[in-house]
Amino acid sequence: MSMTSESDQLAYIASQAADARVNVEVETDEGMTLNLGPQHPATHGTLRIIAKLDGEKVVAAEPIMGYMHRGYEKLTEVRTYPQVTTLVNRIDWLGSFANEVPFILAAEQLMEVEAPPRAQWIRTILFELSRIANVCLFLGDMAVQIGATTPVFYAFRDREFVLNQIERVTGGRFHPNFDRIGGLKDDLPKGWIEETRGALNRMTDFCDEMEELVLGNEIFQARTRGIGTIPSDVALAYGLSGANLRASGIDWDIRRDANVGLVYDQVDWKVWTHPDGDSFARFWVRLQETREACNIIDQLLGTIPSGPIMAKVPRIIKVPPGEAYVATENPLGEMGFYVVSKGDLTPFRVKIRSASFSNMSIAPWVLKDVFVPDIISILASLYFILGDIDR
Amino acid sequence: MSEIPEHLLKRAQAAREKAESSQEPTDNASPTKETNSQTTVAVADESPIQEIDEKAEEILERISKGLGQKLISSHIAPNRGLWIRVSSDDWRETAQFLRDQLDCRFFDWLSVIDWMPSPYGRELETEQDVDSQAERIEDQPIEWGYTGGKTRFQLITRVYSISLGIGVMVKADLDDHNPRALSLIPVYPGANWHEREAREMFGVTFDEHPDLRNIYLPGDFEGHPLRKDYPLLSRRIKPWPGIVDVEAMPGEEK
Amino acid sequence: MGLVESGKMPKPLTKLLNMSRRYSMWVYQWGLACCAIEMGAAFASPRYDVMRLGVIPLPASPRQADFLVVSGTVTDKMAPAVRRLWEQMPDPKYVISMGSCANCGGPYWDSYSVTKGVDQIIPVDVYVPGCPPRPEALLEGIVLLQERIMNEDMAERWKGDPIVVE
Repeated sequence: MSMTSESDQLAYIASQAADARVNVEVETDEGMTLNLGPQHPATHGTLRIIAKLDGEKVVAAEPIMGYMHRGYEKLTEVRTYPQVTTLVNRIDWLGSFANEVPFILAAEQLMEVEAPPRAQWIRTILFELSRIANVCLFLGDMAVQIGATTPVFYAFRDREFVLNQIERVTGGRFHPNFDRIGGLKDDLPKGWIEETRGALNRMTDFCDEMEELVLGNEIFQARTRGIGTIPSDVALAYGLSGANLRASGIDWDIRRDANVGLVYDQVDWKVWTHPDGDSFARFWVRLQETREACNIIDQLLGTIPSGPIMAKVPRIIKVPPGEAYVATENPLGEMGFYVVSKGDLTPFRVKIRSASFSNMSIAPWVLKDVFVPDIISILASLYFILGDIDR
Repeated sequence: MSEIPEHLLKRAQAAREKAESSQEPTDNASPTKETNSQTTVAVADESPIQEIDEKAEEILERISKGLGQKLISSHIAPNRGLWIRVSSDDWRETAQFLRDQLDCRFFDWLSVIDWMPSPYGRELETEQDVDSQAERIEDQPIEWGYTGGKTRFQLITRVYSISLGIGVMVKADLDDHNPRALSLIPVYPGANWHEREAREMFGVTFDEHPDLRNIYLPGDFEGHPLRKDYPLLSRRIKPWPGIVDVEAMPGEEK
Repeated sequence: MGLVESGKMPKPLTKLLNMSRRYSMWVYQWGLACCAIEMGAAFASPRYDVMRLGVIPLPASPRQADFLVVSGTVTDKMAPAVRRLWEQMPDPKYVISMGSCANCGGPYWDSYSVTKGVDQIIPVDVYVPGCPPRPEALLEGIVLLQERIMNEDMAERWKGDPIVVE
């Protein structure tokens, strides 16, 4: 049977199954069709994978999404600019603060407003804290997908310390809605800086713990080394970003190379890359990034400038006509907002470039000719969040 | 405005006046340390602004040399980006050129903009969602953004060159009644899902795309939700409450 | 359990049975969106520790579960699957709707693809408000559900009239 007809067949089955009314686990002479999801522990929510198997080998795999499609791009057209941040918080729900920042920066670019230095500093600190809160769960979850249950409990335990710090500033555990056009809603509470240092110490300990517990583990290495290898040119053509791209050996980080509005240029830090491009490399890069985030925050905490946290902006925000695209290096990868304004109270059009959508679009490519258990570990190492795919 | 209670408006007005009157003292009272840090940050930012601007000009020159007549118009927003517009017939060739000649190997995203005037969000009035006024606004002339335009739908994609450190936004006009363009998959395989999404949300057809099924919505969904004339039915039943947030901004005293 | 079906359950026995049901509940977690993380924090994190309430997370299938926590946005595409999983659960079964999205659509009240409330497809016993609710709020929802089970007349379910959900 030729490849095209198999993919045609798969497309047919997938279209039948797309509305979740049909369950497909068909066994024929030519092989077996396996259905994962939409409710499956390995899919972080509601992703569905339909795979055509030949024995234990995946011949073709087709992710089906849309089970979490909430229509952000349409809803932003009927919300005012300050209301939009409430919505976009919920795109990548593990690192919510990081979602607000690119939108706010795009609006600020159009309004030609710049946040005061203190606000930029606090933004960067919270941005990195939400990176830790996000990636921390990845480190635990990846081990769960391989079969080790303990790390995820550690991750949930230690993540609370970071969430506490975010909550003390913003009032929300993970949907802060704290960013405003022109600055921030509030200043830091008293004693926060010292407490954050304590939380950071815990997080670096957590990283060490993960390194000992997971990274050196023989089973973990056997399940991830050389599995799901993505060469750098394929990664670029599919638009992979963030740690997935850096794990394929490409030394590119928006924080360093195309930084807008945040103060990464004031810090001494390093972009981590790994040449292998396999699941192990992606885990390794994320682990190093969590450490690096602790380092960045630690340096920024010592140098927060004094001053106001809010620039002068009008009471009712009308953004002048124009178009702007701002991307930031979010925990999952490049997240960008293309904002088209016509001078109204609401954006005319907002295109949300979310990292997981592009990161997942490589799945049909990378899941070809792997074994069934590797589907799980590869998906876990690509690290997606459903809200970020489906929007 | 009628939706906002009178006393809330008064309170907001009072807060604003108070803030304005107290503006000057707070500015003077700010410590000198802060102004110092502000200037150093500004100086540090100054040089890259110039550099990137020149870079964009230089890249645009290379593009116009390479594309020749195919480049319809362009726009450079200083320190913010580079926009070019081509015809939809040259869509794939432009992408090919950018990838091969300008090393734009990173495929960022692809989408569509529907330039039909939207009735929503222009005023503080709340009736638009239920009012027949919505239909009248849709008849108004279209205003395009950067690089101009001719038709209602505009295809837009962004590709990025890591070696040059610049992203290029490419736009192309699409036919009003039969919007279609060549698929970018042979150039950027990652365009696959983006094109499926654009097809589903705007009804744009991509020729030579292997598999233009719905990506998000159920198979029996009718309409293209991101088109401006697609109504959000919940809002027709229960209109937008309008601006009701009159809480004082940070820095403003109650 | 012929006694239950016949509707002639003696009161003390009902109480005993209810108490044992109340403190050994398998929960099927239907994590859909942001709330799933808070649910995960409530169920998997040592800080909140749901097992002290007698709730056991992570059953192998909905067929072994006593109650369902729908946490997150239910979309029109997902709705048939939610309904189907609920149908697979054995009676008596309960549903906790966690978060604004599952309660009423939440911030997506005007979206074209979101089901405005999971109660449109399955009956809900306890609504937990919040966006997302804190883990403590979910724990309180579970306690409320347990109270409801404690005061339930088990035979009621077999008398033909469905239990009305407030």
